Amino acid sequence: MYEAVHAHPDGQSTVARFAKTAADYGYEGVVVRNHDDARADYDPERIGAEYGIDVVDGVEIRADDPRQASGSVGNYRSSETIVGIHGGTDGLNRFAVEQPKVDVLAHPMTDGGDINHVLAKAAVENGVRIEFDLAGVLRESGGQRVRIVQSLRKLREIVDHYDAPYVVSADPRSHLELRAPRELQALGEQLGFTSDFIADGLAEWGRLAERNRHVNSESFIEPGVERGRYEEES
Amino acid sequence: MKHLPKHLRPRWRYLAVELETWPDERIGRRSFQRELWYAGQNVLGDPGSADADLTVVRFEFADGTGEAVVKVRRGETEPARAALACIDGIDGAPVGVRVRGISGTIRAAEENYLGRDRQDSGERNVVFGNEERAAVLRDDVGDVRLDEAFVGATDLDYHLV
Repeated sequence: MYEAVHAHPDGQSTVARFAKTAADYGYEGVVVRNHDDARADYDPERIGAEYGIDVVDGVEIRADDPRQASGSVGNYRSSETIVGIHGGTDGLNRFAVEQPKVDVLAHPMTDGGDINHVLAKAAVENGVRIEFDLAGVLRESGGQRVRIVQSLRKLREIVDHYDAPYVVSADPRSHLELRAPRELQALGEQLGFTSDFIADGLAEWGRLAERNRHVNSESFIEPGVERGRYEEES
Repeated sequence: MKHLPKHLRPRWRYLAVELETWPDERIGRRSFQRELWYAGQNVLGDPGSADADLTVVRFEFADGTGEAVVKVRRGETEPARAALACIDGIDGAPVGVRVRGISGTIRAAEENYLGRDRQDSGERNVVFGNEERAAVLRDDVGDVRLDEAFVGATDLDYHLV
């Protein structure tokens, strides 16, 4: 299972600290999804080898409007393994699910954003993962949290119905905000998710990373076409 | 009052819990217990938290890390995990919480899961991001003091001066 984190300077812990803590907690990998205006400087191979965990580079694009987001997606698609959109407004949610180059629509329900059947169908068609963001449940309280739980339930019903691809994350900004997979599964059960649903959503980050690495690798030419092993002409 | 016969006594499970916070924060047993009950009430509701019990039976805290043993009714360990996961701060200090393991006795919980790595921590100056900073180091991790807040880092991120 993987967790997608905001590392220093976007968050309060460095990539290495996240990787170490996540490895202790039983994660197989971390996705560094710093916002595009607060990129982290790190060496994934070295950190991964030191702590025995897969470190995946990524970005979460924060934009005011779809036009700006579109430019950023073009810039980051070739260099980052996982490209996400910082969702939350109707315009950006819509942009994200209609853009096959986007991997993840992050926290679509925050700040009054919404998902409906049209967006869910578009997400299925374009393979855009919709994120279930547990941060609000873990760290808010009172009426605010009630609304967040409501929005998660709505999202779950839509995603279930259309069988839309999804990811789950606690969206941690420091190693203190990281929670172990079993804790997230237990919390999910209280919210009406099954523990398999949560585990699957955490694992989806890893599958996504593997797929994109394969697509970006040299042996991949286009879908269905691959460089095989041929005899060398002598 | 007379003790209950053994088959009627509640069965308990003991959660070995690991706590972590920034080095300048203090966490007390009472405030941890209070936050745990609040979290239980908020996530599980009154009936759920009554079922789970969630009593802190052992507590130790020093130098930004701590350990606790939480008593939970058998069969309610998953709701208890959920409540523990929702503790994000104690007395205004952000905390990391993790269940290391679950045992049937306090002694087994302590022996199997707690007290393994009591590490010494110390303040040192380090170079982090091309600037010299004070940091609190323990084992192979360290919290570097920036102007207003700490940054969690490891040995890979800084050099000692």
